[in-house]
Amino acid sequence: MTAPSPAPHKMSARDVSVFYGDNHAVRGVSIDIDMDKVTAFIGPSGCGKSTFLRTFNRMNDTIASARVTGEITLDGEDIYSPNMDVVQLRARVGMVFQKPNPFPKSIFENVAYGPRIHGLASSKTDLEGIVERSLKRAGLWEEVKDRLSDSGTALSGGQQQRLCIARAIAVDPEVILMDEPASALDPIATAKIEELIHELRGRYAIVIVTHNMQQAARVSQRTAFFHLGHLVEYGETDNLFTAPREERTKDYITGRYG
Amino acid sequence: MTKPAASQAERRPTDWKSAGMQKRIRRRYAAERRFRMLGAGAVILSAAFLGFLLLTMVAQGWRGFTVTEIALPIDLKVAGLKVERAQLATPAADLALAGAGLEDAVENAAIRAFGAEGGTYLAPSAWLAVREAVKRDPSLLENRAIVHVPAATGFDQALAGDGDAAMEAGVARLRRQGAIARDFNWAFLHESDSTDPVAVGIWGALKGSLLTMAITFLIAFPVGVLSAIYLEEYAPKNRWTDLIEVSINNLAAVPSIIFGLLGLAVFLGTWQIGGHVYGPMLPRSAPLVGGVTLALMIMPVIVIASRNAIKGVPPSIRDAALGIGASPIQVVFHHVLPLAMPGILTGTIIGMARALGETAPLLLIGMRAFIVTAPGGFTDPATVLPVQIFLWSDEVSRGFVEKTSAAILVLLAVLLAMNGLAIYLRNKFETRWQ
Repeated sequence: MTAPSPAPHKMSARDVSVFYGDNHAVRGVSIDIDMDKVTAFIGPSGCGKSTFLRTFNRMNDTIASARVTGEITLDGEDIYSPNMDVVQLRARVGMVFQKPNPFPKSIFENVAYGPRIHGLASSKTDLEGIVERSLKRAGLWEEVKDRLSDSGTALSGGQQQRLCIARAIAVDPEVILMDEPASALDPIATAKIEELIHELRGRYAIVIVTHNMQQAARVSQRTAFFHLGHLVEYGETDNLFTAPREERTKDYITGRYG
Repeated sequence: MTKPAASQAERRPTDWKSAGMQKRIRRRYAAERRFRMLGAGAVILSAAFLGFLLLTMVAQGWRGFTVTEIALPIDLKVAGLKVERAQLATPAADLALAGAGLEDAVENAAIRAFGAEGGTYLAPSAWLAVREAVKRDPSLLENRAIVHVPAATGFDQALAGDGDAAMEAGVARLRRQGAIARDFNWAFLHESDSTDPVAVGIWGALKGSLLTMAITFLIAFPVGVLSAIYLEEYAPKNRWTDLIEVSINNLAAVPSIIFGLLGLAVFLGTWQIGGHVYGPMLPRSAPLVGGVTLALMIMPVIVIASRNAIKGVPPSIRDAALGIGASPIQVVFHHVLPLAMPGILTGTIIGMARALGETAPLLLIGMRAFIVTAPGGFTDPATVLPVQIFLWSDEVSRGFVEKTSAAILVLLAVLLAMNGLAIYLRNKFETRWQ
């Protein structure tokens, strides 16, 4: 397939395959991601949804045996082309990981690190402004504003994950990838993260991988169902959950396997 | 315990109080106790060995830090020394006093004060003490005074109950006169090697060790840590890197004397051939060559320890940094290295401690020379603490026994200081990075 030239979509994947050595983990997936929408990837364990997510900011590059074929574009620009700077790509396409992974530094330093290495702040006050804005947007400001110099690792699990989201949005990304962001959290912390995703939707294109179908139904506008490396079905979340076109999708969301 | 039961219902409840069960419990507790006693025994045994070592060293070594002094009544006016007073403040004073026969005057004073054997009670360097006293206080030339001078090695031995009959008589006589004093031996801390055990000092060897360690650290630490970073973070995992890993592990186990031969052959041999033609390149017996040789020796240790420390940094931290667009070098220097630093420092200190105590390779590159002045720089001839200990332990004169122990105590003190620094640095990094 050819790439659409003036991209109507924020990100597009065309016929993407990922190999781990001989293991064909993702098989010829094509998908479009749009601004102001939350796209959920669901599917049973090992279906390749996390692997596929990591192709959007080239995090698979860090795995020596991983190989990606096909084309992924960001604003029509091929992110796997030699001209693409990976460092800038990852600033534009931020990522939140499954397990909260704050740096063992202060809360302030955690959020300030990204803007600092990308030179986004012109002064100390500017940087403080960015940190405050990011923490507010991540819904963490009220809880930590008096202890910004405390270690980020001293926060609770849910707070740590929101700190990681604040850290990701501090570099002002266009797309945020979330890899099962609530799977290590308790229900209350999960609810807060979901609420946060709702609030963030207007500013960023968000892609979220989740095990939890209710979560996908709650937070996303579009859902993609993966099985054994294939994209089985992709559509509006409401349609996919109420009237799945594919038999396999129906079996999965009704709990026949997974 | 149960018969092959047809269903769960037929299975009898386990009797936890039965005799067999009680026996099992007793045996389990006994095994537990035995293991704890073995462990405690191992710790006590090693502590006892360490305590024994320290006690012997301190018992023998404390005398090395003291000096026996004889209060020598001396009247230089009687001796008739012809020295211009004005000369005493000039650099020519030493020569003038020697030329005026100060050495003989001191010996005569000893004979006058302590009898015919009196001269032998004083160390050969005793007149130097008088010379310094005269330079400090020229009025000694006109007055009768008492100057404290170091005693001869034989006298010192007799004082410890280990001398010959003549000396023991002398000790008894001077003791009656109240002319014997023991003082802290400051000279031991700022003098260097000598043929006379009374006059030796540790400073030359200590400074040699410090200079050598500085070179070793400056080469081994950066090269070792950078190699570890490259191998862990950048190098592709393939047959070549496997080969390098095996080679490094083998290098860490190579006997140190081999590295000494390498230093001799490469740094002094091959490069020195050029030296003969184009002028001296690397001198023998120098801390520079010793330091480079020891750096080669401990580099594998640092590489292995650093790689393990870097491996121990959780991958999630790398992901986090990469995920917000840190470049690989930023990931390493901002996140991985600071977190790995405590482990890297521990490995480095283990390596440095090994280098500090190393003797064999330094013997081969000539750092066993008899050197009476402390090295002024990295290319001056020098010796190091363990080599100095080796040299002194080889001396015939019994006066060197306590000096050897004293030198061992100094070496242990330097080791302790280094370990203390390592622990301090480790704690500092750990609190900063939790």
